[in-house]
Amino acid sequence: MLLKLSFSSLYARLVTVGMTILAISVSLMLYMSVEKLRTSAYTSFTDTISQTDLIVGARASSVQLLLYSVFRIGNATNNITWESYLDLVSKEEVDWTVPISLGDSHKGFRVMGTNKEFFSRYKYRGSQSVSIDKGYLFEDLYDVVLGAGVAEKLGYKIGTSLVVSHGLQSFSDHDDQPFRVSGILKKTGTPVDNTVIVSLAAIEAIHVDWSTGAKIPGQLTPIDEIREMDLTPKNITAALVGVKSKLTIFQLQRWINEYPEEAMTAILPGAALQELWRVVGVIENLLLGISVVVIFTTLVGMAAIMFSSLSERRREMAIWRAMGASPFTVIGLLMLEAIFISILSITFSVVLLFCVLNLLQPWIDYNYGILVNIEMLAIKDMYVFAVFIIASITVSLLPAIRAYWFSINDGMTIKL
Amino acid sequence: MKKNIYYSLLISAMVSVSAAEETRQVDKHEHGVGELNIAIEGNAIDFEFFIPGADIVGFEYEAKTESDIALVNAALEKFENFDNIFSLPESSNCNLVNSEIGINQDDDHDEHDDHDDHDDHDDHDEHDDHDEHDDHDDHDDHDEHDEHDDHDEHDEEAHNEFVAHYSFNCGNIKEIDRISFPYFTTFPNSGELEVQFVSEIGSTSFEVEGDEPFIDLKGKI
Repeated sequence: MLLKLSFSSLYARLVTVGMTILAISVSLMLYMSVEKLRTSAYTSFTDTISQTDLIVGARASSVQLLLYSVFRIGNATNNITWESYLDLVSKEEVDWTVPISLGDSHKGFRVMGTNKEFFSRYKYRGSQSVSIDKGYLFEDLYDVVLGAGVAEKLGYKIGTSLVVSHGLQSFSDHDDQPFRVSGILKKTGTPVDNTVIVSLAAIEAIHVDWSTGAKIPGQLTPIDEIREMDLTPKNITAALVGVKSKLTIFQLQRWINEYPEEAMTAILPGAALQELWRVVGVIENLLLGISVVVIFTTLVGMAAIMFSSLSERRREMAIWRAMGASPFTVIGLLMLEAIFISILSITFSVVLLFCVLNLLQPWIDYNYGILVNIEMLAIKDMYVFAVFIIASITVSLLPAIRAYWFSINDGMTIKL
Repeated sequence: MKKNIYYSLLISAMVSVSAAEETRQVDKHEHGVGELNIAIEGNAIDFEFFIPGADIVGFEYEAKTESDIALVNAALEKFENFDNIFSLPESSNCNLVNSEIGINQDDDHDEHDDHDDHDDHDDHDEHDDHDEHDDHDDHDDHDEHDEHDDHDEHDEEAHNEFVAHYSFNCGNIKEIDRISFPYFTTFPNSGELEVQFVSEIGSTSFEVEGDEPFIDLKGKI
């Protein structure tokens, strides 16, 4: 009876109540999307590289090296020489290494030179490895393996031929040495999806006629001649390293960091990521803080609307009283109203959230490589909702007490 | 004395020649920031501390006066007992297997090469007598180490660093859910600890400071 009354009363004030609900849901959605984005970004980052003990590159900040070598974002790091890499490989503590060479691109997608071991050693999301979906890994010098995202977005198939551009801008192409798609990888949800993978030798081959970042004019070594050449790389961007025993990681890390012949940096991927997260965490907390304030503001707004409606509703309340409602029933009615509003807002905000996430997900994935997981709400969200409902009840207490006061004073006659 | 100056000139000349031949690089050194590496594999857990001298004894030149030497020795003595530095949960049942405590007088990069085998930390520079630290009884007579005074060949601007390495074997390593650091109260001058942590699950890092002197390792081992 009370429920029905309260509901019909709300229905009678559809527009004001509707606007309140809209305001609250938008602020709730803001809060939830910040939260969703931060957890998604965190898991998607931490899931991207596992079982690699160290990443070795030129002297740089650990975050820069991690972002560039694994996520291919941020500023490029220097390269390290092949000699230093071989020194590293020969260290007793080292179990395996995978060299990586970055710098060129194809239609905005990074081209990465590596060896076949990359496909067995690179692990993501615990212990999953990249696997081939169609075709085969590179056999020929000019074979290229595409990440699932590249193949999908460019519509490439096995056998499509493509040209690698020098650097990230497509001003100068390596058009004298076209590649052929030999394999397409399964989707991984990692930056590998957006990477064009070739062999290290191929990276060396396409730069045969290049010197200090530009094509040597008039020089064009025939492909047959290039195939005959020694295509051992002169330098690489980074190396993924696995050690035999975790207990020797720090010893090896120190050896690399203090390597006298070349300034190098060795980072523990998880440790560097955590370091990045401590920086990002400040901004995250700021965003969360802002959305909490927004929620609080809308709650105060809800109270304000209830207050202002009270004087309009003094007649309504007089009728309730006349029908036998006690002053406490009036309080109850107003609190019920607040609960209704908050539950409706929560429901609406969840719907809104999923719409927005579904719309934005491909864009975020494409631009930032972060796969926002659109799954059902977490227990944590339920806590937030519970706190929100309690907060709205508390806030509604003020107008409710005022209504109680009115109803005692006014009784059935209204002195306006 | 004069002879010593000639020697040091000669040595510095030699150092600069050798430095010109290879890449010039200098280690990072930040007062108030100690480094700690923790590695776990199987039942073993290893701790490596690298703490700037300023954080421990308040100075980083080589201890020469009796009072300085006493300070350094008192600090090393505190490192000897790991309970002064960190504590592991009782239930993990960890036993100290090996520990090495010493000082790096950080003025010659070549020395770093033998950091790998920690055995020779004992004979780093003049700190030969650190071996004795194992039997705590004779620490009282450390003050009389007058012979420390004549080690002039060391660069005065060198930074020293306390190095401590502890290896444990644990009955129940998964029980380690938190490591606390009495280190911050033992050495009131200390700033933060930058912790790198690695286990079979993966690696992570922490920044620990005196107001929250612990790290939470739930789900990380």
